[in-house]
Amino acid sequence: MTILKIFGSLLIILSSSLMGYMYGICYRDRVNNLVLLENCIKLLETEIIYGANPLPDALMSVYKKGNQKVSFIFKEIADELIVNKAETAFECFESVVNILKDELCFKDEDIELFLTLGRTIGTSDRLDQEKNFKLILTQIKTLEAEAKLSKDKNEKLYKSLGILSGLAIVIILL
Amino acid sequence: MEKCNSFVFNNLLEYLVPDVSNILYKISDTKKDVVEEIRLKNNKPILIYYNGSDYFVSKTGQLIKDQKESIYITKEQLQKTFQIISNYSVYAFEEEIKSGFITLKGGHRVGLAGKVIYGPNGIETIRNISSLNIRIAHEITGVSNNIMKYILKQPNTIYNTLIISPPQCGKTTLLRDIVRNISDGMPRYSFNGLKVGLVDERSEIAGVYNGTPQNNVGLRTDILDGCLKSDGIIILIRAMSPDVIATDELGSVDDIIAIHEALKTGVKLISTVHGEDLEDIFAKKNLGQIIEEKIFRRIIILDNSKGVGTVRDILDGYTFRSILH
Repeated sequence: MTILKIFGSLLIILSSSLMGYMYGICYRDRVNNLVLLENCIKLLETEIIYGANPLPDALMSVYKKGNQKVSFIFKEIADELIVNKAETAFECFESVVNILKDELCFKDEDIELFLTLGRTIGTSDRLDQEKNFKLILTQIKTLEAEAKLSKDKNEKLYKSLGILSGLAIVIILL
Repeated sequence: MEKCNSFVFNNLLEYLVPDVSNILYKISDTKKDVVEEIRLKNNKPILIYYNGSDYFVSKTGQLIKDQKESIYITKEQLQKTFQIISNYSVYAFEEEIKSGFITLKGGHRVGLAGKVIYGPNGIETIRNISSLNIRIAHEITGVSNNIMKYILKQPNTIYNTLIISPPQCGKTTLLRDIVRNISDGMPRYSFNGLKVGLVDERSEIAGVYNGTPQNNVGLRTDILDGCLKSDGIIILIRAMSPDVIATDELGSVDDIIAIHEALKTGVKLISTVHGEDLEDIFAKKNLGQIIEEKIFRRIIILDNSKGVGTVRDILDGYTFRSILH
């Protein structure tokens, strides 16, 4: 009986600390992914402002050059653009929102910024596009700083919270 | 050997919004063969233009004259079509949009109309596109085969040639084919090909898309795409050492200056000009001058009396007598 109890308690502690760890790691991933996304957007800027490549080609090239942990979303958008003619570029950007949320740990404000990019991209001449890219890149910097702060604050917190809440449940049950 | 067949038309439909292209797809193949233009305007019926008149399109893809049955294109559909045509990338077509048209794969041209925005350096862009006119490229190879003997000069060179033609009479088609023949050579007349420099100001002759000419302009042809004739002639002489320079639609003072420059270097010229006949050209200030200078030794006059691209006459540029027989 005691063995069973100990085994059960261990199971509870293990799963709750795992939960805490997962929560914590999401904060770290968000920071990393934001930095990678920034790089990708910079690549896209070069493709568009200096290369004047058409959008599907530019997106594919970002996918190839960028860190594919994040840059795969640009491939998704390019595929969507080529296949689905009835959609605007913005709608194609919208189609990857779920991926951004679930796989890349982005928060709503990050996604909103990304969609702002989708709203303006390709709709105007190079000068105007350049201004838009500048704006987006400054904003993403702000988001990165904010994400780093909340990571420092929350990552450890959630990890310890996981372990401690596991312990608490075990103590209560015992 | 007409390139414009139903297959080309169907390929072109990829550039339209699916709502519209699905209906145009139903047009019968024989009609697709002859369509020259598809004209789209905000909230107006879709017009298909062929054989000198225009038709509305019904929901079932019939070409009709009755406006009531016609399908319309909405503002949103037109905007989306423009997005697809510009490949979602207005910035990539900045220069083209400024000059009012975009060249598509296959050499087709889309004319644009809308709100023109001016900047410090002239036209900056066209916004709020309200009309699109899709002109289907007609590449017809072999039209010049029978008149090449008038242009070729022994040994292995050509006469400076001017093509005079009213609009829509096939002057660009003829020029393109002459260029192809000069460039490839004609074993029939024991003529070896010459190096041709082509200044394609409006991307009409070669129809360059992404660096590849969509029309056959011959294997010894170098193309300066989208370049002003006056600049292009000088660049080609300097850079590509051509034997022959070909351009479309001479007219401005700068063109004439560049032509004189080219003649000094011994390059041969082939060009076209808008006009009904020789008198018409004499009446034009700059062009009359170069005819009087007898720069062009062969003058080909086109009309459409026996269908598009009828060669009405070929004149010797020295005596102005017909040499057509």
